[in-house]
Amino acid sequence: MPKRRDIVAIVLIVLPWTLLITVWHQSTITPLLATRKGKNIFAINIYHNDRRDGRSKSRNTFAFKESCSLQNRDIVEVVRTEYVYSRPPPWSDTLPTIHVVTPTYSRPVQKAELTRLANTLLHVPNLHWILVEDSQRRSTLVSRLLQETAVNYTHLNVETPRNYKVRGDTRDPRIPRGTIQRNLALRWLRESFRVNSSQPGIVYFADDDNTYSLELFEEMRSTKKVSVWPVAFVGGLRYESPKVNTLGKVYGWKTVFDPHRPFAIDMAGFAVNLRLILSKPQAYFKLRGVKGGYQESSLLKELVTLSDLEPKAANCTKVLVWHTRTEKPVLVNEGKKGFTDSNVEI
Amino acid sequence: MKLKLKTVFVLYFMVSLLGLVYALMQLGQRCDCSEHDLPKDRTISRLRGELHRLQEQMRKSDVTKQPQKQPAKPTIFVITPTYARLVQKAELTRLSQTFLHVPQLHWIVVEDSPHKTPLVTDLLVKSGLTYTHLHMPTAKDRKLQEGDPRDNQQGVIYFADDDNTYSLQIFEEMRSTQRVSVWPVGLVGGMKYERPVVEGGKVVRFHTGWRPSRPFPMDMAGFAVSLKLVLANPEACFDGEAPMGFLESSFLQGLVTMDELEPKADNCSKVLVWHTRTEKPKMKREEALQAQGLGSDRAVEV
Repeated sequence: MPKRRDIVAIVLIVLPWTLLITVWHQSTITPLLATRKGKNIFAINIYHNDRRDGRSKSRNTFAFKESCSLQNRDIVEVVRTEYVYSRPPPWSDTLPTIHVVTPTYSRPVQKAELTRLANTLLHVPNLHWILVEDSQRRSTLVSRLLQETAVNYTHLNVETPRNYKVRGDTRDPRIPRGTIQRNLALRWLRESFRVNSSQPGIVYFADDDNTYSLELFEEMRSTKKVSVWPVAFVGGLRYESPKVNTLGKVYGWKTVFDPHRPFAIDMAGFAVNLRLILSKPQAYFKLRGVKGGYQESSLLKELVTLSDLEPKAANCTKVLVWHTRTEKPVLVNEGKKGFTDSNVEI
Repeated sequence: MKLKLKTVFVLYFMVSLLGLVYALMQLGQRCDCSEHDLPKDRTISRLRGELHRLQEQMRKSDVTKQPQKQPAKPTIFVITPTYARLVQKAELTRLSQTFLHVPQLHWIVVEDSPHKTPLVTDLLVKSGLTYTHLHMPTAKDRKLQEGDPRDNQQGVIYFADDDNTYSLQIFEEMRSTQRVSVWPVGLVGGMKYERPVVEGGKVVRFHTGWRPSRPFPMDMAGFAVSLKLVLANPEACFDGEAPMGFLESSFLQGLVTMDELEPKADNCSKVLVWHTRTEKPKMKREEALQAQGLGSDRAVEV
């Protein structure tokens, strides 16, 4: 009896099956994805907790895995956290979801900006925060911040290629900041939701340094196609706003800076119904060849015409969002080597 | 016989190999199982919502049966001086949105103006917070005023400027202040953060890049004082004529010594408050329009 042949035979039988089983097992935990620039596991966390004063004990997480090789997908992971200081209002099955798209990039005030934006968003029911980092991989700072806050979120990232990045700190209006990130969020939305799904939703592009009143979110919830409203501190004015006639239709723009743009409005001044985004899958923010101030128009002209716009905020007479900008902090005392401990996260 | 077995093995091996290759190919692909799962997940989310609603109902009925007297948390009195400028409403709005998350908080807004402005009055009324609205034009000495603090009321006083950024944790950290508690502040003093240096649970010195020889070289947002201490020292106040950066010291010197300070935020190793500053919005076009008499509608409040 040639022992070697037996052994070889047994190995040849067992080896493929063990390989298969290990790979299969692996894929249930971390599915392998087709390599695409900037996409990793997306997680939607849905919270169904009531607002309570002070702490709460647990929170549940659903993890959706976007790409998979298996036909059977399980809902994985119930995460319990120790200390969450506040909660969003309970999820309602009747209110449309507001998907807030925020591009962000690393700089000293990033954590502060995201903290206070999260504090604002925590008051809004049925809100889904889509945070898109301008980075090669998702940073621990943002991941930790999102995990500790109780907001319903999706964390994405895509790095702006160097030739598109703003050189130094000079604001070159020809290179729109955050465009690639917003487009990624649009693509994510189109891949996650089906056109004929009955889940109503609104998409709003919110920069991390602006200030939003809570009333604004309730105004935009009733958007059928695209709704618009005034924005403070843009265009070198106290506020810019759409011009609304007595019939409640938008017919122009009350701006000084190029009022003849198709949509002379700031990113924070409009919201789009999710169904419209899904039904026009080619509509994205134009990246190249966009003049300063035309970025919003590059998206909106593919979605809607001027007469379809819905004016909100009492026929565009109230200011509910402010285009605040945070000063760059003076860090002169850090010196070349850095005076403070770099392990402390700010 | 031998041949048959051999072919069987070979066949078996080939089949397994093909199966493995097929499975490996599958792993790279995306499946659109999203259609199947969304209704399932929606049902689950709906059921969870119902479960929580029922749990909340149960809790409410329990509470009404046995009214428990829980020890009241110390109230945090947040003092915010504010003055009229373009970004005032925006700053106060987002500040109020943060404070709404903090239980037992009493917001004291002091306007730098000869009388209370309708902008701030309306904002406070709509905010949903417990507040006190005061006003005074810039006084030489800022004396503390609380809205009727009772003698046995536990409380903490915190000076919060309207353009800083506060995380919710900082309020829970300061609630346990016995005398004066301190913590790091981000983006201040020309550095990423300033903080007290803690050794053996006590503050031994301050890590700051600017004038570290001050008695208390820290920012207004970096400390909180217990109500008891302030009421016990009715003369303690801010010296408005103190040199720049000495405002905090002028107040704290009369109240506490360095080794009495209570370090918070994990022995002053975490940054939970940031000294952000908001840019002044550019109004060139507005000013040009106003010169022509075509300025934006003043009736619209910004």
